[in-house]
Amino acid sequence: MGVVVEWLNAFLWGALVILGVFFVALVLTVVWGLIGATAKLSNSTVARGIANAYTTALRGTPELLVLLIVYFGSAVTLTSLAKFVDPSVKFVHIPPFWAGSFAISLIVGAYATETFRGAFLGVDRGQIEAARSLGLSPFQTLFYVRLPQMWRLALPAFGNHMNSLIKDTALLSVIGVEEIMYTADRATTITNKPFTMYLVVAIIYLAFVSVIIKTVALLEIHANRYLARAR
Amino acid sequence: MADKTSAAMIQLDRVTKSFGSFQALKGVDLAIERGQKVVVCGPSGSGKSTMIRCINRLEEHDGGRIVVNGIELTTSVKDIDAVRREVGMVFQQFNLFPHLTAAENLMLAPRLVRKIPRKEARELAMHYLERVHIPEQADKYPAQLSGGQQQRVAIARSLCMKPEIMLFDEPTSALDPEMIKEVLDVMVELARDGMTMIVVTHEMGFARSVADVVVFMDNGEIVEQAPPQDFFHQARSERTKAFLSRILTH
Amino acid sequence: MNFEISLIWESLPKIAEGAELTVRLHLLSLVFGTVLALGLVLMRISGIAILSWPAFAYIYVFRGTPLLVQVFLIYYGLAQFEFIRASPLWIILREPFWCAIIAFSLNVAAYTAEILRGGIQGVDQGLHEAGRALGLSTSQRFIHVTAPIAIRLSLPAYGNEMISLMKGTALVSLITMYDITGVARTIMARTFAPYEIFISAAIVYLGLTWLIQRAIAHAERRFSRYVRA
Repeated sequence: MGVVVEWLNAFLWGALVILGVFFVALVLTVVWGLIGATAKLSNSTVARGIANAYTTALRGTPELLVLLIVYFGSAVTLTSLAKFVDPSVKFVHIPPFWAGSFAISLIVGAYATETFRGAFLGVDRGQIEAARSLGLSPFQTLFYVRLPQMWRLALPAFGNHMNSLIKDTALLSVIGVEEIMYTADRATTITNKPFTMYLVVAIIYLAFVSVIIKTVALLEIHANRYLARAR
Repeated sequence: MADKTSAAMIQLDRVTKSFGSFQALKGVDLAIERGQKVVVCGPSGSGKSTMIRCINRLEEHDGGRIVVNGIELTTSVKDIDAVRREVGMVFQQFNLFPHLTAAENLMLAPRLVRKIPRKEARELAMHYLERVHIPEQADKYPAQLSGGQQQRVAIARSLCMKPEIMLFDEPTSALDPEMIKEVLDVMVELARDGMTMIVVTHEMGFARSVADVVVFMDNGEIVEQAPPQDFFHQARSERTKAFLSRILTH
Repeated sequence: MNFEISLIWESLPKIAEGAELTVRLHLLSLVFGTVLALGLVLMRISGIAILSWPAFAYIYVFRGTPLLVQVFLIYYGLAQFEFIRASPLWIILREPFWCAIIAFSLNVAAYTAEILRGGIQGVDQGLHEAGRALGLSTSQRFIHVTAPIAIRLSLPAYGNEMISLMKGTALVSLITMYDITGVARTIMARTFAPYEIFISAAIVYLGLTWLIQRAIAHAERRFSRYVRA
């Protein structure tokens, strides 16, 4: 275990990078999920078609492939755009941290779309009618009546999405993000102890996932507090 | 039928409404004056609920005119919001917001729509909770209240917007028998205070003691409308008589 | 930037060659993993601490860590130990193919065990009581009453797990193998046309996903004959 101690700092930094990706991707995931769910529930055939194509494609394509498409695709696009302006440019890319966060959020956002769609439908129609009959605008109804009720319904599934988010970060060393898989790889080449190093990675992920599971459980208790009957 | 005065608070002219191929309203005429209490009854599927839901635009009518307090219901969002501010609605299923306490349910619309500060909204809420006799339940969540209490909170929630008209869509149908009275009592008090009310209900006792006019609907049409004495004792239509004999015998 | 449709048509057949490996990895892992899951779920619901606790821990660990880490632990990690390299098992454990199969099977087992447990818990308690009232033994009740219903309840989630595994197989391209993604990455390194190449690969995966969905839908219809009116 002595070898691990020498690499502890590097693992710690890698873990911070993972946390960074997690939080950036989490915010984006919620955004894609809400947009996707709204589109799927809209009256517009076009919006529904786009949203269906999005969820079908992103849920049926390997995470690794999505990551490669986003990273190399954006790089090729940006490079050709840059060459248009300045022909001497060789290679332009989105920093791997951001490309990776974006890719992961796209993937999990497809699942969140379905979760949020179900949660929107799970809020009783009478709630919306009551709000409208009191004179609340559609936006006020969404913000004060529908969203506060739907997040309770979405929470269990969304907890799983958060676990997916954190676990998908393990792919990011493939595009050069210096997270803990990268640390383990570097540590292995020097110490020749791959099992030890990847075991450390596994333990770090297990810790993250445990924190998420515990947090979601507490949030569920909080979200359901008003449903507890007095009698 | 000729004297449709312009003073009518609610005026329906040949109102029609279809759901797909089902015609829920087949040209309904109704005029209600300020302060009048109208009880609407009829078998299920007769169009009673659809009619009052059209009055505050929870359903959009297809044909004819609906004028509420001088504002015609058109597709104009502004007009609809204006009408909704004038009209309170109480639902069969209460539709209280489960994530808010009783008081918060009452405070939400005054704060968001009337832009009243939180403290004043709280005072307003307490005032109306007292009016429905449950100020002590202010900080409970709907799930912690009985059905009768929930419906009274729902009535108070509508009153907080100081509507000129109150619509009741079968307000006691989802309640256990022992809770019906407490809700009806609140509605009787409201009627005494001069509120204009349309009540869809089968509580004929309530109709007898409170209504100015009883309306019987069947098949998307108003079959009969008359003051309670005439309605209950000398109904003209056979359909009305058949309905009354069914509903009054049990 | 130019997007060449023709490049998609050219690369599709080559990428489809990688599909054979993808499908082999998928089917083998699915079979091994599901068998393992049956044992795990029986341990998990046995009510005997010495059986249920290890099953719980196993499921928690394998669901709580990334699949890629599990693949690397087995493929790269095990070589750290001299006794493993000296053992006869090394013939298998040095092969990326078998390492991948082992990692995928262990992973699928954990998820599937949890899915089956959910299905078993979803069976109406009244049916147990009815079975007991009829004099069926515990194992008879499980085999003839609980299991058939639990399988039907578990099918949709199991279908998602099959798709999840299909996507997971793409990770073998990171341990020197040429599955769909592996082939695509090789072509990509030569042409540097990421959209065309990777989208071709995605199309092949979407085709496979579609097949799985069809299979599951078919199975669901079979298992829910008695639910339909």
